[in-house]
This record gives sequence, structure tokens and C-alpha cells, in this order.
Amino acid sequence: MAGVSSLDELIEALRCLPGVGPKSAQRMAYHLLQRDRRGAERLAKGLDAALQHLHHCARCNNFSEAEVCDQCLSTRRDPTQLCIVEMPIDLNSMEQTHAYSGLYYVLMGRLSPLDGIGPKELAFERLFNRAADGVVKEVILATNFTNEGEATAHYLSELLHARGLKVSRIARGLPVGGELEYSDAATVAQALLERRDYS
Amino acid sequence: MSNKRVDGQPAFVLHLHPYSETSLVVDVFSRDHGRVPLLARGARRPRSAMRGMLMAFQPLELGWFGGGEVKTLAKAEWLGGMPLLAGRCLLLGYYLNELLMKMLAREDAHVALYDAYFEALRALALGGADAPELRRFEKTLLKELGYGLTLDADVETGELIEPDVEYAYLMERGPVRKVGAGDTAVVCGKTLLDMAADDYGDPRTRVESKLLMRQLIAHHMGGKPLQSRRVFMELQEL
Ligand SMILES: [Zn+2]
Repeated sequence: MAGVSSLDELIEALRCLPGVGPKSAQRMAYHLLQRDRRGAERLAKGLDAALQHLHHCARCNNFSEAEVCDQCLSTRRDPTQLCIVEMPIDLNSMEQTHAYSGLYYVLMGRLSPLDGIGPKELAFERLFNRAADGVVKEVILATNFTNEGEATAHYLSELLHARGLKVSRIARGLPVGGELEYSDAATVAQALLERRDYS
Repeated sequence: MSNKRVDGQPAFVLHLHPYSETSLVVDVFSRDHGRVPLLARGARRPRSAMRGMLMAFQPLELGWFGGGEVKTLAKAEWLGGMPLLAGRCLLLGYYLNELLMKMLAREDAHVALYDAYFEALRALALGGADAPELRRFEKTLLKELGYGLTLDADVETGELIEPDVEYAYLMERGPVRKVGAGDTAVVCGKTLLDMAADDYGDPRTRVESKLLMRQLIAHHMGGKPLQSRRVFMELQEL
């Protein structure tokens, strides 16, 4: 019976992954145990190591093994610019542009009042302390252009502004190479609303 | 209940929940079918046409089918014409959505409430004075749920409300000429009369009606806390 209960335990554990219901958890468990035991071992070790060694960088809040991550320590980056993103994956997107050489702060979420995520859950105070280190001159808000991302950007801009920082927001509009014909109405409407003088 | 197909239904997204790696469950408020949860298959895929469209506070036209509790979203069209909510108005928008999500039963049509919601969102989107539309929305919400307000007469004596007299508003009942000291919702007669007329020009009316509505809504929510209000308050304190 001990074997059965550890199988149940595994299935139950897999359900903590987003979007994984009882059916897919079962499928995953059987796959790991039956078809890919080596993969299962790697997964177990990987999880264990990550849990033990990864925490949040004291400066950018991204995952890091060291107290301060390599990126925050890098001398090649401009410490006067601080870009705020929602998630680590957004930081990766920014990095892929090769157009930004400042530092980052990862919120690990966004204001989402209907899910009960507010400034306490996102530890806004921590961000304020980081941004007010005296070196940062400009904060660039790169949260998503969803309602939640916009609400986050709005409040952060007010609160950071009140702390004497210059705040900017990444621009929104048509994608590069975008054709009006193939763009969604919402994007075109907003691009029109936020049009700029052509000087 | 019904396995029919619904087409071209005016609706707003109230909230989105990820359902799987690629799909979403969308809680919508539709004009003729009330609150309906819809499964949007594939809406989380990067190239999904629906991905950017399923956004709260924007008028959409939706089509769905299915007989279960959660229907399947078949079609979504962007109606547009409403600027995106911004800033503090976004938080007020969440407040409206939370009220609808917590107070409306599923699949109960409330056309008058839908209209009041639309008007409140429009006022928020235009960023002007929004108090009249917000109060009208709350008033319509309570009325549609069967908790309509009495604003014209003292519920004990039947006497008409006098503008210069103070009244205690008793939950579930209505205004009575103020007597006790322990009354929580105290408003002046003019506020009640202004609310009946949807006239919010007087600053005192704005303050008192807002407080009265807050107490009435808290009462009818049975003590369930409003997350949007908590987050709003926390943001004000920073
Ligand atoms: Zn770091």
C-alpha cells in the first residue's frame, strides 16, 4: 500500500503546476515513472537544488544563487537606469532587444485586485528602497499593456515620482513591420489615440 | 440547462483565469444572459486572435455554445469606441467587476444593470466626474437584486423626506427620522432626495451617498470583504 500512496502523493503534487488538473497530473506521473525515470530523477534533483540554492536577488528581486546576481553586479551596465518588469521572462524579452543596458527590477507579478494581489503582496516597499539608492535616475516601467500591467504602471509612476525619480513608460503601438490591414482593432485604436506629433 | 448557441451577444469580460497552458476561463457579463463563465480554448497561445481582445472594460460581442455550467466561447468581436481605462479609474473598474462577480448569480439577465455598468465604465474611461454613474450603478445593482432603496419617505411614518432633516438609514428597511445615537448610516434628507433624482452636484450628497452605498453593499455582501477596495486603500496609504 505504501507504493500506492506515494503515487497518489506524486499526482497530487503535480497538480500544483498551473493548468494541471487531475487527469494530466496522472498522465505526467505515469509518464515519469514508466517512460522516463531518468528524466524524473533529474526533475527531482533539479527542483531540490533550485529550492535550496535559489532565492531573490537583494537588488533586482530576480531569482539568483548569490545574494546579489551577476547582472546587478556587472560593471558594464548603466546603474542610473532601472527597468521594472513583471516577470523574469519579461526581463529576457527586454534583454533580447540588445537596446537596453541599464539594470532591472522584477516585480514577480502585477497588481491584480480581483486576485487579491496588492502592493503588500508585491512588496512595493522593497522596490522603493531599491529605486531610492541615490544612483538610479530614471525608472522605466515595462509592465505589460494589460489592465493589470497598466494599473501597476500607473501607481508605480505616481509613487516613484513622489520619491523624486524620473519615470518613463515603454511605448505602445503597432509592431515593427506591422501592417494596419493585419493589426487588431484595439491596437490600431490605441495607436491612434496615442499618436505623436510628426516633427 | 440549454444547449443552445448564443450569437452576437454584447458582453464585457469581468475576469480571466488561466485554465490550462493554452486556455482561459473568462467570466463575462452579457446583456441578455447575465454572468456566464466561458472557456476560451487556445486563447493563451501566442498567436491567438482572441488573446489581446479578451480584456476587461471593453465592449465585446461574443458567441458561445454548450449546455454545461461553463460554455465554450466560439467567437469574439471587438466593438471598440471606449477608451482604455487608466490610473485610478482602473481600480474603480475592478470594484464594479468585483461587485458583479460576487453579487450576481450565474445566467440571470439584468439588462438595466448592464446598461448602468456600460454607462459607469464610459464615465470612467472618459476620466471626468464619475460619481453619478457609479452611484447609479450601485443603485441599479441593489434594485436588480431585490434590495431596492427607499429614498422618498420615512419607512416608519410614511411621511415624505424633508431635505433639512437627518435620517438614519436602516439596512433592509429604509430611512427613519434620526433618533438613536447608535445608528450607523446617517444622512440628511437632501442626500436621499438627490439620490432619488440621480443629482450628485452637491459635494455633501456625493460624500454621504458614497458612504451610504458602501454600508448597504457591505451589508448585502454579508461581510464578504472586497479585495478591490482593500488594494485601493493600501495604494492610497503608500
Ligand atoms: Zn539582481
